[in-house]
Amino acid sequence: MIRTENLTRKFGKVVAVENLTLDVRKGEVFGFIGPNGAGKTTTVRMLCCLIAPTEGTAFIGDNEINRDPDSLNIRQMVGLLPESPGLYERLSPYRNLDFFAQLYGVPRNKREERIKDLLQMLNMWKKRDEPVGTFSKGMKQKIAIARALVHDPEILFLDEPTSGLDPRAAKTVRDFLSDLRREGRTIFLNTHNLAEAERLCDRVALVNTKLVAVGSPMELKRRYWKRTTQVQLKAISPSILSAVEALPFAKNVRTQDSKLLVDVGNPEEDNSMLAQTILAAGGKIQFISEMERTLEDVYLKLIGGGS
Amino acid sequence: MRLNKAWIVARKDMAEFKTNKYILFTIVFMPMIMGVLIPLGYFLPIQLFATEDSGPPREITLTPVTVYTNDELTNGTYYNANFTNMMVSNSIIESSYIFDSTIISTVVNNSISRNVTFYNCVVTKSNLYNPALLEDTVVANSVIIRDEDPEVVLITLQMLSFILFFYMMIPAVTPTFIASYSFVGEKNNRSLEPLLATPTTDLELFVGKTLAIFIVTMVATWVAYIVSAAIVNILAFPLLGYYPLPNGLWVVGFIMLAPIFCILSIAANILISSKVTDVRASQQIGGLVVLPVLLFVFLTFAGPAFSSVWMMIIYSIIFLVADVWLIYFSTKIFNREEILTKWK
Repeated sequence: MIRTENLTRKFGKVVAVENLTLDVRKGEVFGFIGPNGAGKTTTVRMLCCLIAPTEGTAFIGDNEINRDPDSLNIRQMVGLLPESPGLYERLSPYRNLDFFAQLYGVPRNKREERIKDLLQMLNMWKKRDEPVGTFSKGMKQKIAIARALVHDPEILFLDEPTSGLDPRAAKTVRDFLSDLRREGRTIFLNTHNLAEAERLCDRVALVNTKLVAVGSPMELKRRYWKRTTQVQLKAISPSILSAVEALPFAKNVRTQDSKLLVDVGNPEEDNSMLAQTILAAGGKIQFISEMERTLEDVYLKLIGGGS
Repeated sequence: MRLNKAWIVARKDMAEFKTNKYILFTIVFMPMIMGVLIPLGYFLPIQLFATEDSGPPREITLTPVTVYTNDELTNGTYYNANFTNMMVSNSIIESSYIFDSTIISTVVNNSISRNVTFYNCVVTKSNLYNPALLEDTVVANSVIIRDEDPEVVLITLQMLSFILFFYMMIPAVTPTFIASYSFVGEKNNRSLEPLLATPTTDLELFVGKTLAIFIVTMVATWVAYIVSAAIVNILAFPLLGYYPLPNGLWVVGFIMLAPIFCILSIAANILISSKVTDVRASQQIGGLVVLPVLLFVFLTFAGPAFSSVWMMIIYSIIFLVADVWLIYFSTKIFNREEILTKWK
């Protein structure tokens, strides 16, 4: 659905995006993750035909970016939620959405129904005639999301949709995005929020000007870490450690407080043997589980703390 | 270019203008104040001066077309009538009511005027003050000009061309206020990016935003023109004996030069908007657009030859060329790439 080929954008001598080659599938929620200045917004702007690439190209469906009349077709196909809501604050939500629906060519007889549906879904219908300027940041973000969807686009580009929102507003937005995901809409999600990306995205790309890694959150975690079983014991004795280290599948045996951490190749098969060995060595197991790696761990490992 | 897309943008911008008290003040009060105060400020003193200076009634010499002699006019009512070139002699005008009428070049001699009311009449180049008997005759709410004063006429006509240039400031200055909110305001509000993401061309957006400012400015300008022309006519009629507006100078000014100034100002303000991030800074720099208009004020002082209809047409052509040049540069910088990467 979205395909980039060596997409590059330079601003003078500064390279914002370098040789980005990606393929986003239809109906997929694709997370685009990277630090500030990694070129995420620039990439979205190129894909929405707002700015031109310096080198390379990209395709949205069968349309090539920065080529007429494909650019107009692409802008008709996509909905964009920029980093800032950018609403007309003196106008009402209804007037804001109606204006964009007209520009997107939504027929008059469908406009009202579409706007009503969106505002009702986002619990904003009662406030449809109040000036947007009086709304909270969360409410404005909801209207901006509705604006991106007003023409029922095939692809949705969301740039930091929950940035700066309080937890309740962020949850409302995330729940709405989950609903959109179920509808099978292709969503390209720029985010810093790794927990959000992990929860919502089918696949993610880690970028830092260049593409660093791409895959599903689980694939990325498995790619960079072995699976680790953690066993909470009442007490860890040297005999338990020796017994576990002697197991052929156990690698990198270490302790953390009263937890025993063991890298195992196949926990579904190996954990029962591990438990039996610990019990036989006199250990008293309180609980046993797989140590969870997060997308944040992947991000910090691949990109580090700074840009 | 799809004009319907441009019109959607224009309508949205105009809806926003209606809710912005600064823009409302500019487009409503400034033209109204200029439309009322400038004619009053310039023509009222001339009228007062001319009236004071006109002296006592004078005998005037004219060649009457209609002569009433030994006639009697009693209990007559004349409404919206036109008495021109009349000589009334040895007659009696009694218990009559003449209102909303024009009396020009008419003399009443050796007659009796008794219990007659002239109401809301304009009396020009006439002498109604020398009947043999003038009893209970009321001249109310009427303007009486006994004779034409060439100096007053000259000053009045000069003022007509002089104040026109004040009105040319409305289309030059108003876009400065509106465009600063329309472009810099939208940039600061970050509402440009979603707008640019819509399936519209750069030209459609440019035309739409320009059209909104143009329509609002020109409506304000023409309203100011209509109001001021009405006031000027009321004040200048007693001085000239005819309604001076519309004249060729004002027609060319408001039909040709005003729209040209308006476009010049809008295009200049788009260029300015790309370089500033503050609405007030944009307005201050944009105010420089008024300089070409001030040039006209000086040219008017230079003599009548510089404020003729033909000179107005020449000015219009010169500024039309400037418009084309500025629009060319404005459209160059009003594109998605420039706005998102180079506009401050």
